[in-house]
Amino acid sequence: MIPKRDNAHWLNDLQSPGEARESALSDLMSLLQRALPAGLSHWLSPDNPLFEDLIADVIQETLMRVINNLHTFEGRSQFTTWAYKIAVRVALNELRHRRWKNVSMDGLEGGDENETSLFEFPSTEVSPEAAVERGDMLAILQRILAEELTEKQRAAMNALMLQGAPLEEVAQRMGTNRNALYKLMHDARLRLKKRLAREGLSIEELLDMFSNK
Amino acid sequence: MKHFLDWLKQIFSPPLQTDPLLPPLIRSLADTKERELTCDEVHALLDQFAEAVRRGEDAARLMPLIQAHLDMCPDCREEYETLLHMMSVPD
Ligand SMILES: [Zn+2]
Repeated sequence: MIPKRDNAHWLNDLQSPGEARESALSDLMSLLQRALPAGLSHWLSPDNPLFEDLIADVIQETLMRVINNLHTFEGRSQFTTWAYKIAVRVALNELRHRRWKNVSMDGLEGGDENETSLFEFPSTEVSPEAAVERGDMLAILQRILAEELTEKQRAAMNALMLQGAPLEEVAQRMGTNRNALYKLMHDARLRLKKRLAREGLSIEELLDMFSNK
Repeated sequence: MKHFLDWLKQIFSPPLQTDPLLPPLIRSLADTKERELTCDEVHALLDQFAEAVRRGEDAARLMPLIQAHLDMCPDCREEYETLLHMMSVPD
């Protein structure tokens, strides 16, 4: 039976030297041992020989992070929920990496970012108005992408939206982190959205156009 | 000669193909907001959000910025769902 602790007790026990801390750590370990399989069985079959090792590794890393980050716990959730959140991050990053490490993604690695985007899809030189008259909406959109997105942004979008790669893995290959990559993608989306608005293109109509295909 | 080749290329160039990125990208633009939380900001609030959901509160309405990020970001959404699974295990 794992004794119930409120947040203050968890913090107090984990911060006090000796036996209180040892038993709090061992209780947290038991809770993780019990809860992690419920979360991770959606990712890896519990019958998989790697499953137990994964759980053990995740618990070790989680306990370390919990101890190192105790000062950041603000008590706005239950302590165990906070610890589970940390375990989830550790576990899924490991699983994502295992799943994607051998999958190639074009154009992410390698340093110097070229600000002008080279574009493999044909684009037209006609003005937006003329092209609209020709019904050549695709050409306009492709030109807008070519003009508004850098090669790196474009490559990241391909990996994320077409390959379905996790941000975490794409970020690592780009030499950045997930948070910065999310911001980069948000900036790119906003930029495109504003450009479409300036060109008088309605996203709803564009959505219709693509859903009819 | 070079001009002739260009001319040939133009004549025989395939019809414009749809850039495969366009459909998912346009869909994501529909949900793009001026202000969006980042992954770190969402991670900081994810435990609170999940507890609110488990208490039966309308967390999506109370914390719309978190919900919007979860709808947009597969990494955070997976973490949120995994967290809920873990929380459903009785103590
Ligand atoms: Zn995220």
